[in-house]
Amino acid sequence: MTDDERARELTPPSAPALRLRGISKRYGPVVASDNVDLDVHHGEIHGLLGENGAGKSTLMKILLGLVQRDSGTIMRGETPVDVHNPQAAVALGIGMVHQHFSLIDALTVWENVILGDTGKIDRAAACRQVEEVSRRYGLPIDPTARVDRLSAGERQRVELIKCLRRDPSVLILDEPTSVLTQAESAELFTVLRHVVRAENRAVILISHKLAEITAATDRVTVLRKGKVVFHSETSATTPPELARQMVGRDVSLRAEGAALGMLPVDGAPAPADPGTGTGTDAAAPGTAPALRLRDLTVTIDGVAVLSDLSLDVAPGEIVGLYGVEGNGQSTLGDLLSGLVLPTSGTVELAGRPVELDRPGALHRAGLGIIPEDRHSSGVVLDMSVAENLVMKSIGDVSGRGFISRRRMHAIARRLAAEFNIVTPSMDTPVRSLSGGNQQRVVLARELSAGPGVLIAAQPTHGLDVGAIEDMYQRLRDAASGGVAVLLISTELEEVMALASRIAVISSGRITGVLSTGEATAERLGMLVGGVAA
Amino acid sequence: MTASSAAVPSGTGRRLLRHLNPGPYGWQTTAATVLALLVALALSSALIAITGGSPAASVQALFQGSMADWTAWTSTLLYMAPLLLVAVGACVSARSGLFNIGQEGQVLIGALAAAWVGLRLAITGPVLLVVMLAAAALAAGAWAGLSSLMYRLRGVNVVVSTMLMTFVAQQVVAYAVNMPWLLQESRVGNAPVSPQSNPLPPSGLLGSFGEYPDLQINGGLILAVVAAVLVAVAITRTPWGFRLTMLGRNPLAAKHAGVRVNALGGAALAISGALAGLAGAVLLASPVGVNRLQPGIAMNIGWDGLLVALVARNRPLAAMPVALLFGVLRSGGGFLAATGVPSFLVDVVKALLVLAFVAPPVVVALVRRRRSSDRTAGSRREATPVAEEAIA
Ligand SMILES: Nc1ncnc2c1ncn2[C@@H]1O[C@H](COP(=O)(O)OP(=O)(O)OP(=O)(O)O)[C@@H](O)[C@H]1O
Ligand SMILES: [Mg+2]
Repeated sequence: MTDDERARELTPPSAPALRLRGISKRYGPVVASDNVDLDVHHGEIHGLLGENGAGKSTLMKILLGLVQRDSGTIMRGETPVDVHNPQAAVALGIGMVHQHFSLIDALTVWENVILGDTGKIDRAAACRQVEEVSRRYGLPIDPTARVDRLSAGERQRVELIKCLRRDPSVLILDEPTSVLTQAESAELFTVLRHVVRAENRAVILISHKLAEITAATDRVTVLRKGKVVFHSETSATTPPELARQMVGRDVSLRAEGAALGMLPVDGAPAPADPGTGTGTDAAAPGTAPALRLRDLTVTIDGVAVLSDLSLDVAPGEIVGLYGVEGNGQSTLGDLLSGLVLPTSGTVELAGRPVELDRPGALHRAGLGIIPEDRHSSGVVLDMSVAENLVMKSIGDVSGRGFISRRRMHAIARRLAAEFNIVTPSMDTPVRSLSGGNQQRVVLARELSAGPGVLIAAQPTHGLDVGAIEDMYQRLRDAASGGVAVLLISTELEEVMALASRIAVISSGRITGVLSTGEATAERLGMLVGGVAA
Repeated sequence: MTASSAAVPSGTGRRLLRHLNPGPYGWQTTAATVLALLVALALSSALIAITGGSPAASVQALFQGSMADWTAWTSTLLYMAPLLLVAVGACVSARSGLFNIGQEGQVLIGALAAAWVGLRLAITGPVLLVVMLAAAALAAGAWAGLSSLMYRLRGVNVVVSTMLMTFVAQQVVAYAVNMPWLLQESRVGNAPVSPQSNPLPPSGLLGSFGEYPDLQINGGLILAVVAAVLVAVAITRTPWGFRLTMLGRNPLAAKHAGVRVNALGGAALAISGALAGLAGAVLLASPVGVNRLQPGIAMNIGWDGLLVALVARNRPLAAMPVALLFGVLRSGGGFLAATGVPSFLVDVVKALLVLAFVAPPVVVALVRRRRSSDRTAGSRREATPVAEEAIA
């Protein structure tokens, strides 16, 4: 508390750490930033909200010198400064954790942390530094671990350590929690609070989760189509107000409770609304399940990542696979994407075992999958939006051996309209879409393929409120159309809102399957901890 | 890039423009390339002057040997054909993300196979030529395919294995032309035999359109141009090319999308080898050489072809003018060497020219970043030392 007060005394709100005036940036016809004014204060967490493509990441990249602004001024206190490259940003004490991780998989933690340094490499000193930062902020990590062995939460820690080591006075986090579990998010917010209260830094936090924004920030700014449309002290506003400002219309928060992360987590979860439904109920016993996982075991380097995992999903049913990140979900996702072969066990689709070692066999058998890590296996960043949308059905847009660009573009335009993909053109490389719009490209492709079984791994990561609502509706529609949906999620609200049965995964095995009615936070909590309830 | 491409009208015109576009920041790159070419020429002249030659006379000789008359053009085009074939092959493998750099060896293997068919199989008539070409493509394709096999079975890096296989190929050809039972020339009376094969029979030679002293267009060139067009179409317009591109840009996503990653990568490597093998057959059967298999028959065409693909940024159609330019350098270079300029200088000139083409896009991109950060020079100068401190 004394820290807190001292911090506020040192820098009264009248002297912002960073002041943006009239920042504008256009990408061809797209106005990514439109005359943005923003003040960021020391000792405060500043929330930045906005729909997918509203221009949040672009604004932050401008601050970081990664994107050149067309006009406007950035001021440090009262002096205009020039941030035209990342080095200048580092010099000014601005650090950022990006929306998509920028770590190099094949390198170790300490190597990643000192990446970009100049001068001699001192392994011992680097490891010491990593340990020191990690102790100071309570971010436990092994500096010698290889990054590709780390979970999303641990990677996030590395990014944070990398940033904090440079002692930034302004710390920017672009959707840091979209890949974190609730516990990890809570841990992150503890660190952030320490960083602003005790160390008087300024933090800019981008998130789509309104509950987080209202709980964690001191001030909040909403962007819409590149413009600042709303600005307030967080205590003076409410989630519904923020949602309305973001979307530009009233949002029915009840239906979107889960999307907003606002449903009560502890206590009895709200029963699923019978109107919006959980799809049709599980098919009568006796019908062949659309998806049957049987005794799947995957051993990687002698460690059983999945062991004897069995699960059935009936047509028209949404089954939630719930668990804490890093308990085998991503391996299961890789397996169902055809990227990993099981050590033993089978996958059956509509009663037929799939030959997993044949490329594309799962796809041909009618399995669609929204992979968890869309950047690495979902899209080809350097190919166009149109190409990414037809990637899996390139044969269908070809006639007499040639790709028909006309047909490809027609399909792409239809999907882009249907899934609200905001892109300057169908020929734009996916790399230059906003994070949320990249997600939508994958969703559009997988959902439109008309699968019999749909695996959705963390389908709402990185989506804005409206898009989450839309996503939920699509999953429900798919289920009521007879598709078997397996929802792999680390978010309890999401699973509770959508699934009719919840299977809990812990250490690579299913510890229990509950119907939504039986599922209480306590029972789920025990199962997640690996205790059969 | 997106800013400029968004301003370009959509449709066919746009696509054409995109193909012509030398890279990001169009006109600046073009200007920089012209500048770099001038610098390269100036440097070359200086080098020639230092070694005691006359730059003006050298340029004259270069021109004389490559473009001055139809005969010169004929020889330029004879070099262009194998260069283009190799380059087009390199485009295919590079597109798939696998870098085949063993073309020199694949050219040799192609020539060896063609020579063996031409000299040892009793085939007569025009069929012989067809079988020779097919054998060259098959043999060199399989040779390159070995590298893909090594990668799959033992994880041997493709760049390394394709390159090392070149040295193996050189040994194989040297062995073949030294063994009478294989391909060494027959002994006539008591004359000494050389390490080379007999000349090909006339039916095994690639014919030309046109008669001396007019322009002659050899069948090899037609073959190369057809291959370039076919590959260009296959890469940009067919599902196969789409998958190949996907594989090159993101193998994981390609696998996820059901692409047979190993098979496709192997095929790309084999095709690039096959095209290099065809280049070998063309070197053997066209009037560019003596129509005998000799250990030096590849004449570094494999390496130069790689450079052609590099300058053309792996686009088969762009490889055509580049291969022509390299052809000019070869035929002109030969002429130049005849005037007394050491032939290694010709290679230096060639290297300078490659740099002049490859470097500008990179330089332009760098300069642009630098310039934008120099807009307010004052604060930058302030900022830089601090940045170094902070990083150190
Ligand atoms: N390099 C680029 N080239 C062209 N357009 C771009 C580029 N980067 C961003 N844009 C466009 O600018 C707009 C804003 O993108 P930005 O990434 O800032 O959105 P965002 O608010 O971070 O969204 P999300 O929540 O989806 O991450 C988008 O419409 C995007 O398509
Ligand atoms: Mg973003």
